[in-house]
Amino acid sequence: MNQEPKSPAAESAPQPRRGGGIIGKKLPRPDRSPSVQSYVPEIAKGMGVLLDHFFRNTRDMVFGQRNDPVLEALEPGINTISYPEQKRPYPERFRGLHRLTTREDGSPRCVACLCCSTACPAQCIYIEPAEYPEGDARRGYERYPARFVIDELRCIFCGFCVEACPCDAIRMDTGAHAVPYDSRDQFVYHKDLLLSFANRRGDHQTRNPRAESPDPGWPGIDRLGKHG
Amino acid sequence: MNALQLVSTLLKIALVLGVVLGIGGALTWNDRRMSSMMQDRIGPNRAVFVLPPWLARTLFAAPAFLVAGALAAWAYLSPAPASVAASVRATERILITLELSVLVAWIGLAALTARATRSSPANGFERWLASTVRDPRNVFYAGLAAHVLLIPARYAIAGTPLSASLKPILFTAGPVLLAVVVAASALYAASLVPATGFRLRMAGLMHTAADGLKMIFKEDFVPKNGDRLLHSIAPMFGLFPPLVVLAVVPFGDVLCLAGGKVAGVVPSAGICTDPASSVTMQVLDLDIGILFIFAMSGAGVVGAALAGWASDNKFSLLGGLRAASQMVSYEVTLGLTLVGAFVVYNTLRLDDMVRWQGENAWGIFVQPVAFFLFFAAATAETKRIPFDLPEGESEIVGYFTEYSGMKFGMFFFAEYLEIVTSSALLVTLFLGGWQLPFLHRDGLTIAFGDTVLLHYGMTHLSVTLLQVATFFGKVVLVCLVQAVIRWTLPRFRYDQLMRLGWRTLLPLSIANIVVTAIAVLVVQSSPGAANVLELLGDLTQGVVAAAMIAAVVALVLWALKPVTRAQTVLSSSAELAQAQGGTRATPMQA
Repeated sequence: MNQEPKSPAAESAPQPRRGGGIIGKKLPRPDRSPSVQSYVPEIAKGMGVLLDHFFRNTRDMVFGQRNDPVLEALEPGINTISYPEQKRPYPERFRGLHRLTTREDGSPRCVACLCCSTACPAQCIYIEPAEYPEGDARRGYERYPARFVIDELRCIFCGFCVEACPCDAIRMDTGAHAVPYDSRDQFVYHKDLLLSFANRRGDHQTRNPRAESPDPGWPGIDRLGKHG
Repeated sequence: MNALQLVSTLLKIALVLGVVLGIGGALTWNDRRMSSMMQDRIGPNRAVFVLPPWLARTLFAAPAFLVAGALAAWAYLSPAPASVAASVRATERILITLELSVLVAWIGLAALTARATRSSPANGFERWLASTVRDPRNVFYAGLAAHVLLIPARYAIAGTPLSASLKPILFTAGPVLLAVVVAASALYAASLVPATGFRLRMAGLMHTAADGLKMIFKEDFVPKNGDRLLHSIAPMFGLFPPLVVLAVVPFGDVLCLAGGKVAGVVPSAGICTDPASSVTMQVLDLDIGILFIFAMSGAGVVGAALAGWASDNKFSLLGGLRAASQMVSYEVTLGLTLVGAFVVYNTLRLDDMVRWQGENAWGIFVQPVAFFLFFAAATAETKRIPFDLPEGESEIVGYFTEYSGMKFGMFFFAEYLEIVTSSALLVTLFLGGWQLPFLHRDGLTIAFGDTVLLHYGMTHLSVTLLQVATFFGKVVLVCLVQAVIRWTLPRFRYDQLMRLGWRTLLPLSIANIVVTAIAVLVVQSSPGAANVLELLGDLTQGVVAAAMIAAVVALVLWALKPVTRAQTVLSSSAELAQAQGGTRATPMQA
């Protein structure tokens, strides 16, 4: 039991009325005076606050009493990157736009096996395979893409096509991101455009070796010997 | 229609279109500039043109030299007439050229002093400015003193032999002095262009221009199941009404061209009524005036509703429905509010309304309640914050969800044009149109009742130019107020919007009509009221004039208040980054 005498403040505090009445802390009610309800003085007050900030900041900038925010953002030591004047470097394995790698003679390395378009979860790759012409050593052994189309708007940049490719023919190592175009059909990349892209070193080929038809390591050589 | 009317109509259309489209474009810029300035962040000024030094120098110097050459030619081709001592026109020419010379001189010197004190001075003159003058404010005070001294100097020597001998010289020397000052300032500015080129940013105006250009070249997308025709027509319906409404808005008093009246003083009473030799400062002089405006601005709802319907999109349809119901609701208030104004002005013609306000008192004093009601309803008609429910970008994207490219740009620009239009209407109906306090057709006359305190004669041409400038200046000011409202208020809820329109504004506007009608009847039936009201009207003119002067003085004093900032406040993360030597990125490796 509390033996301490009550403080004078507690004694003089108003006691709650008996027999009903609201007991507890009185909450401030919303101000419904005419000046608030008619909006106009309150709007004027709000506009005053806003104009105060506006004029103060404008004056300071116009009279050069503070640094120009644009030029300041370009100063060293500011941790905001001012794109596009400054660019954050992409990491080594950044998945950018696709490119089609080439063989040494400049023809596409792709053999039109449709592995990438099958693996693609967004179904953004369309390939039309074609046979090499009569007399080409590769005819009957591997095909080439007559058309190779990637819809970069559908693409989700998952990289499954690169994983699926058995020939290292499609890669995403251009280090470039999609460009804003004016219309949708400009986002549909065709074979020639994809072949024209290079990796970050400006290389159109890939470093993974591949044996071509005259090479002794070409797997089709036995087949030629057997059936040709 | 004679040749004068044809030419003047074409000129007036070009003027109104040019100014209004200019204000609309500047408003799109101002909207972003203002938001960035009040939140203290980087504004829309990333777009930069780097001009090569020779081009920048030419751009600085060439227009100034053209102006200077024109002034010199003017001075050479119009020698002082024999009656130069008594001519109001001659006095005006001398005073204006001298005041402008002083103005150009002190603005240039102040900018130069600011530059010299902020960065290292380039030559001996700048070193002198930096060491002796020290502060651009001193140049301002000196310039102000020179401006003020010119006026008593003129009165002091008026009528003396000195004035008679000085006036013919100054008649030629004034324009020459102005030409020299302009050319010298431009030459100095051109010499300051750095060798690396001039970075033209114009505080972000280029950014707006770039945005407009981008809109034109973007893809024009039409939804597959949308109505192709209506989808294409809707933006035009949005853009057309705000432009055509401006045809009947007067932006100046009648300009008399007969018999060299332009260069002389015309009497204050009596309007030159001969249509063959006078030009009304109004593209379309219609008797139905304000009714034409209601008919046209009522058509504005069609654009939004069509866009919502033709887009084949639920959100667009919601936006279109909201726009239709909101604009129709507030159209009622807009119309009824003005009935009170008709009763007082006793006309439907907008130019007569403005004339009435000049002779008696501005509409805001005669119909204060109507002013606020009209302002609220007009803001709602422009479909902007706090009434931007048809757009409501955070709930439904709005009636232009399915629009892209310049079609979207047209809706967007139509909104800003509606601001200009509603501001022009507000100025015409309630803020005195092209009237300046105490400025009459024959010059400045400060009079209360029958006591004339001051009369200052001005030529017809300068009065008219001042009126046109006044009208567009007032429009810009009201546009700025609307922009501030946009940045201050949050959006209404839809039921609040409807309640405000139908249960608050509409009954108030009807009550306003009743009270106005009774007041007009009382005034008309009591004989002594007219004199008292005239004096009261003159007093309101005095109040407006005093308020304008006080606002300018307060603004200048406030702008001159020195502010010292110890340091730019950086965020803690930026300070940390700075301590680490910064996080500036290396150039991209690709």
